[in-house]
Amino acid sequence: MFKRVIQSLSKSLSRQPATPTPPKPAPAAKTVEAAPAKPQPQAAAPAAKATKSQTPEEICGITPKMSKEQIRDELKILYRRFNRAASSLDAKTRAEAELMLDAIVTVREKHLGSI
Amino acid sequence: MAEYVGIDLGTTLSGLAHLKPDGNPEIVPNADGERLTPSVVYFDAHEDVKLVGSAARDGGDPERTIFQIKRHMDDPEHVVKIDGKDWTPSEISALILAKLRRDCSRIVGDINEVVITVPANFNELARKCTIAAAEMAGMKVRRLVNEPTAAAVYYAHTQGVQGRVLVFDLGGGTLDVTILEVAGDQIRILTSEGARHLGGSNFDELLLDAYDDQYRKQVSAPLFNDERQRRRSLQAAEDAKKMLSKLQRVSDTIGNDTSGLARIDLSRDQFESLIKKMITRSLMLVEQALDSAKLRQSDIDHVVLVGGSTRIPKVKTMLEKFFGKQPKSCGNVDECVALGAALFAKKSARIQEVCNASYGTLAMVYNAATKEEKLMNSIVIPKNTPIPTSRTQLYQTSEDNERVIEVDITQGEDTDPKYVDVIGRITLEVPPNRPKGCEVAVTFSYDENQRVRALVVDKQSGRSREVALSYKGAGVLSDEELRRRSSHLKAMRIE
Repeated sequence: MFKRVIQSLSKSLSRQPATPTPPKPAPAAKTVEAAPAKPQPQAAAPAAKATKSQTPEEICGITPKMSKEQIRDELKILYRRFNRAASSLDAKTRAEAELMLDAIVTVREKHLGSI
Repeated sequence: MAEYVGIDLGTTLSGLAHLKPDGNPEIVPNADGERLTPSVVYFDAHEDVKLVGSAARDGGDPERTIFQIKRHMDDPEHVVKIDGKDWTPSEISALILAKLRRDCSRIVGDINEVVITVPANFNELARKCTIAAAEMAGMKVRRLVNEPTAAAVYYAHTQGVQGRVLVFDLGGGTLDVTILEVAGDQIRILTSEGARHLGGSNFDELLLDAYDDQYRKQVSAPLFNDERQRRRSLQAAEDAKKMLSKLQRVSDTIGNDTSGLARIDLSRDQFESLIKKMITRSLMLVEQALDSAKLRQSDIDHVVLVGGSTRIPKVKTMLEKFFGKQPKSCGNVDECVALGAALFAKKSARIQEVCNASYGTLAMVYNAATKEEKLMNSIVIPKNTPIPTSRTQLYQTSEDNERVIEVDITQGEDTDPKYVDVIGRITLEVPPNRPKGCEVAVTFSYDENQRVRALVVDKQSGRSREVALSYKGAGVLSDEELRRRSSHLKAMRIE
């Protein structure tokens, strides 16, 4: 069913079309080494970018039509993702994760009741 | 010589315990007569001495005092500059461990081998740095063990419980939630979930903001203008937090030399309101742990509290409401991790632990059913796999005449590459003039100390490469630096 083709991050990035400010490719390494400042691939992540003008619901991708159970399930997925990202080796990812976690908790308290 | 020794290298407090001949663990006090040593280091400007513990925490220049270095163990670039010299988190942790070792050796004899506890959510780098710190302090690490696992071992030993136990470990810097199963004298960890920067010191900072707000309203000036004043105010906030666990209301008088004094009034309700979001985050971590173990609240037989911040009444009521049963305290919540680590040193063969994170590589995954192709984090060892373990996944090369195969090593369970860490890369040269689609086997091994090794094998040529991960950064010592600084530390005066 699945075919898995090995790809390094630098190879994947080099295949993407050029953008005005492309992320730096990972340094070429002859041996295993850490990559603390990880370049960010252009991955689809609808709820990943928090901006000041967005409400917590918009940041979390919560729509007015969603039921409480759907909101709960969506928040669980987001919490798992961003709680893990809060321990990322990349400082930018960590900072983004903290903003997301704040939005997740705000939405939960508003729609599912506070503890 | 002390045979079974456990050390809790905590964010705010550290402790050492050993196993007595009767099989029960006990805390060994430091040379200052304290059962727990504040994890604080002071670099004196006049004498060549490093103060560790209460003396470092309670006095001296805050610019030369290092608090909570454990929070930076996973940051490869973090260094502390003192008198023009860079100190890595490992070195500063080594000073704390050296103080524990030297002081406690006077009571229990030589300490050469230890079990050290780490938060369940510590990543590969932070674990490596902890082992390096112990080596610099002159101790061999028999095993690293997750803090909630150690606490659970102690709880099971003292209470004789059986069944499924959820350990809620809210310490000074992190929250860990672990679910385990106790059957006879066997312990099986089912899952461990952690939240970084969710602990008592976060509550202290929120209270400090409340102090500052009240002070500004009364005096029309900030509560603190420099680090020394901020530290004093933070200590006052921490004291107030502890009182609010026992009282409904506290009053305090606080101030500074320039703007005078002000009276601060705080109620428990106000404090609980301040930390509400943190409490919600902690409950979401509990729910995540239950989901990971595919369990419901009713499947948990015992809820066990560990860590100083579980003294906060709101934490207990939140857990009681969620589980419908009263959580139990793990004896002394500040000491049980060190005590459990000493027990673990002897009982480790009877404790089955799991992999704390998923490890994998990046791959274009083609789904034949949907005809979709996507760059994904392809997991080789899933989180919560019993350890030690070794797993292999087959991949294919993507291009004709590919001369070098590059394999990124990822840490994290998300399938989206944006939300995992690339913690290393293996490059393997292969023969020329081969078509794409050649098979490559990637094997990851995860040992009992939660360290990762990776092996890449090109199936056609038989060429392979195996490596343990190594990290680079200003805050990470090379093996040579580690040896050099170890000998330097041996000669250092640490009080």
